[in-house]
Amino acid sequence: MRYDAVLNVNGTDFPVEIEPHRSLLSVVRTELGMPGSKEGCDDSECGACMMLLDGRPVNSCSYLALQADGRKIVTVEGLADGGELHPLQRQFLAQGGVQCGFCTPGMLISAKALLDQNPAPSEDEIRIALSGNLCRCTGYQGIVRAVQAAAAEIA
Amino acid sequence: MAVVEDTREQFIRQDGKDKVTGLGRYTADLARTGMLQARFRYSDHAHARVLRIDTSAAKALPGVFAVLTQDDVPDVRYGGFVEDRTLFAKDVVRFEGEVVAAVAALTQEIADRAVELIEVEYEPLPAIADPEQALAPGAPLIHEGWAGYGGNEDVVREGNDCSHSSIRKGDVDAALASADEVVKERYVADMSHAVPIEPRAIVAEWQGDKVTVWTSTQVPFIARSGVATTLQMPEADVRVVVPHLGGGFGGKCEFHFEAHVAALARAARRPVRLVFTRREEFVAPDHRREGQVLELETGVMKDGTIVARRARLVLDNGAYAADAPFFPQLAAMMAVGPYRVPHVSVDAHLAYTNTTPSGSVRAPTAPQSCWGLELHMDAVAERIGLDPVEFRRRNIVHPGDETATKQVLETIAAAESLERAVEMIGYGRELPPDEAIGVACGWWPTFALPSGAHVKLHGDGSGTIVTGAQECGTGSVMALPLLAAEVLGMRPQQFTVVYQDTDAGPWDAGASGSQTTTNNGRAVVEAAIDVRNQLLELAEEVLEAARADLELVDGRVRVKGSPSTGVDITELAEKAAGDKLLLGRGSGSPPASPDCDISGCTGRLGSESFLAPTFMTHAVRCKVDRATGVVRVLEVAAAHDSGRVLNPVGANGQVEGGVAMGIGMALSEGSQLSDDGRQLNPYLLDYKLQTAADVPEIRVEWVGEPDPTAGPNGAKAVAEPPCVPTPGAVGNAIAKVAGRVRCLPMTPMRVWEAMQR
Repeated sequence: MRYDAVLNVNGTDFPVEIEPHRSLLSVVRTELGMPGSKEGCDDSECGACMMLLDGRPVNSCSYLALQADGRKIVTVEGLADGGELHPLQRQFLAQGGVQCGFCTPGMLISAKALLDQNPAPSEDEIRIALSGNLCRCTGYQGIVRAVQAAAAEIA
Repeated sequence: MAVVEDTREQFIRQDGKDKVTGLGRYTADLARTGMLQARFRYSDHAHARVLRIDTSAAKALPGVFAVLTQDDVPDVRYGGFVEDRTLFAKDVVRFEGEVVAAVAALTQEIADRAVELIEVEYEPLPAIADPEQALAPGAPLIHEGWAGYGGNEDVVREGNDCSHSSIRKGDVDAALASADEVVKERYVADMSHAVPIEPRAIVAEWQGDKVTVWTSTQVPFIARSGVATTLQMPEADVRVVVPHLGGGFGGKCEFHFEAHVAALARAARRPVRLVFTRREEFVAPDHRREGQVLELETGVMKDGTIVARRARLVLDNGAYAADAPFFPQLAAMMAVGPYRVPHVSVDAHLAYTNTTPSGSVRAPTAPQSCWGLELHMDAVAERIGLDPVEFRRRNIVHPGDETATKQVLETIAAAESLERAVEMIGYGRELPPDEAIGVACGWWPTFALPSGAHVKLHGDGSGTIVTGAQECGTGSVMALPLLAAEVLGMRPQQFTVVYQDTDAGPWDAGASGSQTTTNNGRAVVEAAIDVRNQLLELAEEVLEAARADLELVDGRVRVKGSPSTGVDITELAEKAAGDKLLLGRGSGSPPASPDCDISGCTGRLGSESFLAPTFMTHAVRCKVDRATGVVRVLEVAAAHDSGRVLNPVGANGQVEGGVAMGIGMALSEGSQLSDDGRQLNPYLLDYKLQTAADVPEIRVEWVGEPDPTAGPNGAKAVAEPPCVPTPGAVGNAIAKVAGRVRCLPMTPMRVWEAMQR
């Protein structure tokens, strides 16, 4: 049995028919053709699948797609403004916050959620806000530097 | 934290924009027309004889296109060191993650259902999880046919002992008898994992007799030869392409499942995709970090001089050899450490067990061996009443010193790394009673391997580097333009890189052994020099000057001493585009291993001497909660000798990431096993990585000089060394507050238990 839904992703409405068991992550990655959000564990442990749902970060692997019907979803593909990178994206590159890049989409979403709520976070606040996103490459140092630099740039 | 200044000319990795916009594609993101989904049926026992496999119900399920077992593929045993494996289980299963059958179906749901419909009848056999038990006399053989296996004849093996290496130097018995003190201890490290955040994925598609395999491997050319060997086809008919790779840390080295998926795609006559779950990523690949048992005995004089080391190491191999047979020799070198030890006797064994096979994970053997040795070093210092840093100072190697295999060390800065790290952290300062500083030193070789690259300059003066090297995230391939640009007097931004496609680049050993910059960097420099010579030839004509008088600077070939007389490289490139093209090739022989003397030693597998060894000291400040045993690492100072550092942002990132991995190994990362060898925590909920909130600030400094025996302009290995000394440094800090914890990881329960002793 499939149900009609409209997923608004990065400002565009996508009418879809969804089986109720499907996760938001799998529908956005496959039916909607936006595989920027990653699946690292399917267990809400790694954070690579993080999306903003009405401005709040969620692990989209553990969120049913039908629950997102009619709500605003932002993925990593929606962060840049046309050709212009978001300051977080630019600083992730400048500060050595990207190595293999697999955690990057989720990290950027968590960082954006933080800066939207708290434009001048302390280092501890940044570390706590990113603690649901696992990175195996950077030791988090370049990522924390990037969020600090982006916050300074946006302010 | 110090934020790096964002300057326009800063070198940004070329794959970076792809990665921050989410537009870059990883293997699991790929789709092909008509693509099917795969799933494996794994062994139901850790050790059992397979009596019967019935796939008829699975084959009858609508939507299933192929079901394969060992009967459907060539009867080939493979393995780089020991040919002990087949693609699918043949007669016997030896660990819980052994692949018995594979299915390709229209959807993942159908494939999942189909593997459950495969009926397998087993006769259970006794399973061994403990490597020491596996080596005990009379232990049941894990490979009954071990003696008949082919492979590398330098591997010394017998029964469950899959590889034995020893180091013998001097007269250990006499030296121990004459020592003022002898300290004997035992340490045990649990098995752990690489845990790349990307679980592996493979897509295979055939065009006639040729197969293209997109795969998340660190070693495309080794994956290619694995497919060619097991499916019995020419290497030229196998194209391995790696899209962006979501981390590896060794876990994605070696040939794994590419041939299974290729065989499914051939049988189904459709492209097939396999994507692993996190549990499969823990259980099925033959590449987790091996557990170790270390028995260490050190003879020392009252003045702190080490006179002898005897050691016996037992490494847990798991069910198949994979690339682990070179581990015992490496672990034996690690058990001596970066210290002067005149009399040495070390034996290291690699024991088959009925667990997931071990294989190279970032600095294989070293973090565990170094942890045991460095805790032991502190214990020896304590026995003779010497400060542990002073004890290391009196024994650490200097240029001109000899290793346990009588290699004479040359361009090294081990002592400087020790002094720098303790200075950075303020060793000796007053601390609260629940805090302490621990120090550990380590070393690691640079591996010499063949490699190749091409450099092309286009008609507009831009360039392309075509390389066989593999980018696993470290940035080593992304930094290759720095080397070409330096040779050609151009800007790195003028070069793009074609990489990780075996049909395009020359052979390379892949993202393993911290080898990319050393070996492929050498090839890129050589290819760029080839192009430079071609440019100079053209410039000689244009400038009417002798080649010896010309130099390449700022995009121009100009006359030395007369910078205004010159010609732009773009102009020369345009000229060449209409005539003889600017194409450079680089390869060349790898540097020779340093001389050593291993007479009397067992097993010669490439680690008997260390080319361009790296040295590193970590000093960490830890806080121990006395009520719970919970440890927090508050501060890390890391001082590394990697010779010349080419790209400081990239190199610092390797140390920062390696230290975080080392803290994980120290405190939380370890597999718990059932008695029959099954992993009890193959999920990220129970196998805990460090988070951003756990990892403290990590300060990194580089010491030492460019090493002329190493890679481009004296660069030594960078990526693996950083995780080597961290667990030992953390352990030594914990020991000062809570007592020595002799099991790794040093979990809260183990720390708490140590406090009760």
